[in-house]
Amino acid sequence: MSFQDVLLQQIINGLSLGAMYSLLALGFTMIYGIIELINFAHFNVFMVGSFVALWVLQATGIVGQQTILTGLPLVGVLALAFLGTMLFSGVLGVTIERIALRPLRNVRGTSAMISTIGVSYILFNLILLGVGADTQNYPNPIPRHNWAIGGAVLELREVLVWGVALILMVGLHVFVRRSRLGKAMRATAQDQEAARMMGVEVDRVVVLAFFLGSALAGAGGMIFGLYYNFTSFVIGYSAGLRAFTAAVLGGIGNIMGAMVGGVVIGLIESMSGQFISVRWTDVIIFSILILVLVFKPTGLLGLQAPQKS
Amino acid sequence: MTSKTVSLRTLLGAAVAAGVLSMGAMASHAADKTVTVGITLPLTGADAQSATLIKDGAQLAIDEANERGGVAGYKIETITLDSGTATAGQYDPAQAATNTKKLASNPKVVANIGPQMSGEGKAMSPILSAADLATITPSSTNPDITSPDPKFVSQFRPNKKAVYFRTVTTDAYQGPNMANYFHDVLHVKSVYILDDSGAYGVGIADSFQKQAEKLGMKVMGRDQLNPKEADYTAILTKIKQLNPDAIYYGGVAQAGVKLVKQSYDIVPKMIKGGGDGMYGPEYLKGAGFPAAEGWYATIASPHLIDDSGAKAMVEAFKKKYGTSPDDYAITAYDAAQVIIDAIKRVAESGKEVNRSNIRDAIQTSHVKTLQGEISFDENGDLVNKVISVFQIHKDDSHPLDDVGFQYKYVGVAPASS
Repeated sequence: MSFQDVLLQQIINGLSLGAMYSLLALGFTMIYGIIELINFAHFNVFMVGSFVALWVLQATGIVGQQTILTGLPLVGVLALAFLGTMLFSGVLGVTIERIALRPLRNVRGTSAMISTIGVSYILFNLILLGVGADTQNYPNPIPRHNWAIGGAVLELREVLVWGVALILMVGLHVFVRRSRLGKAMRATAQDQEAARMMGVEVDRVVVLAFFLGSALAGAGGMIFGLYYNFTSFVIGYSAGLRAFTAAVLGGIGNIMGAMVGGVVIGLIESMSGQFISVRWTDVIIFSILILVLVFKPTGLLGLQAPQKS
Repeated sequence: MTSKTVSLRTLLGAAVAAGVLSMGAMASHAADKTVTVGITLPLTGADAQSATLIKDGAQLAIDEANERGGVAGYKIETITLDSGTATAGQYDPAQAATNTKKLASNPKVVANIGPQMSGEGKAMSPILSAADLATITPSSTNPDITSPDPKFVSQFRPNKKAVYFRTVTTDAYQGPNMANYFHDVLHVKSVYILDDSGAYGVGIADSFQKQAEKLGMKVMGRDQLNPKEADYTAILTKIKQLNPDAIYYGGVAQAGVKLVKQSYDIVPKMIKGGGDGMYGPEYLKGAGFPAAEGWYATIASPHLIDDSGAKAMVEAFKKKYGTSPDDYAITAYDAAQVIIDAIKRVAESGKEVNRSNIRDAIQTSHVKTLQGEISFDENGDLVNKVISVFQIHKDDSHPLDDVGFQYKYVGVAPASS
């Protein structure tokens, strides 16, 4: 492989990672944007999502890497699994908000954040106890088709991962920019009190943010499973931390920022593996994060947020 | 003043209670004559399946001894402690240390079986040494723990006496002998070496690398995988670009399963091998076929499952647990045999059956076990040192996650001359 091929291949690897981080980062950013809460349960909503998708796929009879589908059945199965997973994850997110966060809404300080850490551990241990600790083999009905671009290889499933992530992110962007509810979300993010006075139902907006954020995390979990062909109860930690970093890097509270941040983190990860050494990846990612926060505290795309009372 | 009288009374009461308790303990000890053996293994997390096979192998030997009416009048009880934690997702050295302290503070515990992993062993060994409590590991192979080097002696056994015995040999042989196998048998000229940042993984990869360089193999690079990370495509793409003949992986299943999967996608035709961390049902279940096909693995013991001497044990194991044992279930069975033999010799010699005497008896063992006669050098290492090589090869006529059938024995790795 020539240098250009390697570079291209690492860009392909990085974009696939980035697509996943972006989907996950969106949930952090939306919830922070609206209620200024860092939701650590998000890590494991992602993990649960990958298991829900696994069960849906298994229920349709796809086990291991042997069952390969093409055409309409493939689209149907994937659409069913994505819908089921996103719906379940979304409802899970809303339930978490209702049970563990809404009672703490008006409590000052960090109690709501601590509560999300608790929920995160509950989800983690529920899966550990229910499913067991082994790494689960993930079904992959996507044909092993690929294109050679010079010496680099582009897999069909990578194209699908990018496609699905892009559709979901553009959909979210349009929703937030164009729809009435999206307008209500933006209004609530800017000033909760004023939005309430203008007749926005803040509770409904918060529920919506949790639903959308968690549904995207669930989709991210399914993409993780399809891409890596495994899942396990521990996957939330590393992916979640990177995605959170992506959200901060892009500018927390900013939806475009989360998308850009995710892709940037994905590319940094694959490039540092190539040109430095994978053992330094985390050091590099978090050093860049610190540099950005020192010199541009609002993140790459972040705007100076209006001070809230 | 009142507080003083109260405290005096409390003291008296405590003294009386302690006296009664110790008498009670002595009485019960004489009546039912039991000794306790600890079993410390990572039964939660990525290594859970192979750890369970080890636990079952050890338990089988002890159950059999008890069914035969005990050992020289003693019934052997076991305490099983889990050294894996959910936060680590695999074995957790801190938990292993906590478990060891628990065993050390229980005077009925005369010996221990475990750990599975050297990372646990490094945390356990100093505590065992302070308590003069012997453990026998059926699978931990990092050589530092039993090294005669004064630096390691003061770190791992400050009381000098060996407490960390093994029924397998060490990575001082496992890594280099596999390098010999790569060189002599597979004719590998260049290799890329990876490890999983754990004590075992780094150690075995180092010893492989040293021997590979000595043999004139070109080591094209060395990197470290983070076992909690999901994505190894970056490093594998780099390896694809460098195009070595082979990859050697030192490490256990948490990183290994993902490496097997992703290397199949990126460098499917390359020769790939590892140590005994590559040997276990986790790979067959988690990575599965076709990804796992062709990987080489070693174990630090003779290959025993197909051995006629082990047939009765293999049958008994299958009957009791519904799956076939792997070789480390057999070395665990052997470890239990060594402990049973030590208890027998101490009890028959009329000495008190306590942990110091058991340790001394283990040190002087000459026990006939399934892998042949076991005896230890003064550091706790096996006198016999054999490394067996396996290759994963799909066998449709048997369950696809059965280690006994899907790992094909391909021979003994050549020793370094």
